[in-house]
Amino acid sequence: MAVSLSQSLIQTSLPISQGAEAASYLRSFSDSILKVYKAQLSPESPPILLKYRFKKHYRHPNLDLNLTRSRIAGEARALLKCLRSGVNVPGIRMVDATDGVLGIDWIDGQSVRKLLPGGTEDDGPDDPENQNDTQAGNYNDLKEYGVSVDGLMKMVGIEIAKMHRVDVIHGDLTTSNMMLRHPKSFSSSVTTLTTELVLIDFGLSYQSTLTEDKAVDLYVLERAFSSTHPDSEPMFTSVLAAYANTMGKDWPAIKNRLDDVRLRGRKRSMVG
Amino acid sequence: MESFRFNHNDNVAYALLFSPVNDPGKIKQRIIDAAKADDQDRDAVNFSFIEASLITSRLHLETAIHQAIIVESQGSLRTKTIHSEILFALNPTNNITEAIRRYGVSETSKSLIVVQITDSSASASDVETKMKAVVDGVVVSFRELATVTDWDRVKKYLKLDKEAKEKGDLARTQAFIDSVAISSVAMKSVMQ
Ligand SMILES: Nc1ncnc2c1ncn2[C@@H]1O[C@H](COP(=O)(O)OP(=O)(O)OP(=O)(O)O)[C@@H](O)[C@H]1O
Ligand SMILES: [Mg+2]
Repeated sequence: MAVSLSQSLIQTSLPISQGAEAASYLRSFSDSILKVYKAQLSPESPPILLKYRFKKHYRHPNLDLNLTRSRIAGEARALLKCLRSGVNVPGIRMVDATDGVLGIDWIDGQSVRKLLPGGTEDDGPDDPENQNDTQAGNYNDLKEYGVSVDGLMKMVGIEIAKMHRVDVIHGDLTTSNMMLRHPKSFSSSVTTLTTELVLIDFGLSYQSTLTEDKAVDLYVLERAFSSTHPDSEPMFTSVLAAYANTMGKDWPAIKNRLDDVRLRGRKRSMVG
Repeated sequence: MESFRFNHNDNVAYALLFSPVNDPGKIKQRIIDAAKADDQDRDAVNFSFIEASLITSRLHLETAIHQAIIVESQGSLRTKTIHSEILFALNPTNNITEAIRRYGVSETSKSLIVVQITDSSASASDVETKMKAVVDGVVVSFRELATVTDWDRVKKYLKLDKEAKEKGDLARTQAFIDSVAISSVAMKSVMQ
């Protein structure tokens, strides 16, 4: 069979992540593998990030294809919904669900994880964010972005609240799955912005109006904060304060539920 | 002449922007007649005739061309030709008739983008000559596209009236509409 269009696109692209492949191999359901590339569709167009999903073992080709297909479709739909609702996410540039390829706007910047204390530890040389560094100088210093840690935490809380207000549940909120846009990446037509927090990785997202699902989303992020960043408590408190402010009247119910979820989490860890 | 080339595919898309265009109704009639005529007549209008006021940027058009090329390469065109597929990709619903009515040439078109997707062997000047033979109008640079876009109509078709209000200044509102327009085209194949 001839090489498909997406396959030849991948061949012209720069792999940026063996690390993510290993990571997603470990944590994803079944044996789905994800490879990440930086690519350009045409000489004139802005760069994109390609997410290529495929199965390691083709036991049930049709079933595999449908799972991959629906996962990519789900990710694309969540991105479009967020985009339409003004939540900061990368725009979509191509979808080839048959071949397992999703192409989104390349975000010039750094993951929040790398910008916070403790976030640069434990990375192999293959880590995708290290690639960002080599391509674009030092993006690791929060000072370059003109925001304080507290300011950044507010941005995180606001963006998550905007997403929850339109009933999108992220499903994998971590500080790796949010990026800060570098000030130099803004075009001169929209100059009032210095930076912007962008939510990424909607591969596990879904739609829900349930308070429980929003509370669990926040709890997942709280756990990610405490396992990745030392002394994260005041940081997460700032996230929640900004989240509460943006959610308004919906916040008290979510807060109560978050307390329940925390309690369940603690009980579970005591049982072991 | 504007050309669109992709790093991973041998097709080239040539495009001309006509603004203003005279007698669009005649062009439309010619396309309708060609469908019933012989190969030679059909070849003369073997283009995508696009309502230019609904295109928000060069990247928007490029994304629709790319989408049509992907779908054709997979043998899963939803419309008759790769050229009508561009119109289908631009419309945010699955209604083919509506796509052609909205995004194709109509009696009221003031500006048109004419596109031909071909393999790299076709010469740009031949394509240009053929396009100019069909369309009576003034060829302008693609930079003029910005002055042609009818943002209110794009907003209406994308159902973004409410969302666009919150954006504040004009540049930001247009950047927002453009990005939703591009993303909608790019995800066409998995649209609900
Ligand atoms: N739009 C983007 N621009 C630049 N870099 C990106 C972009 N999206 C993702 N990345 C980088 O690639 C890494 C992997 O992407 P992503 O988080 O979407 O997938 P994942 O976590 O590996 O997989 P999964 O979807 O299976 O959870 C990110 O941590 C980030 O460093
Ligand atoms: Mg991730």
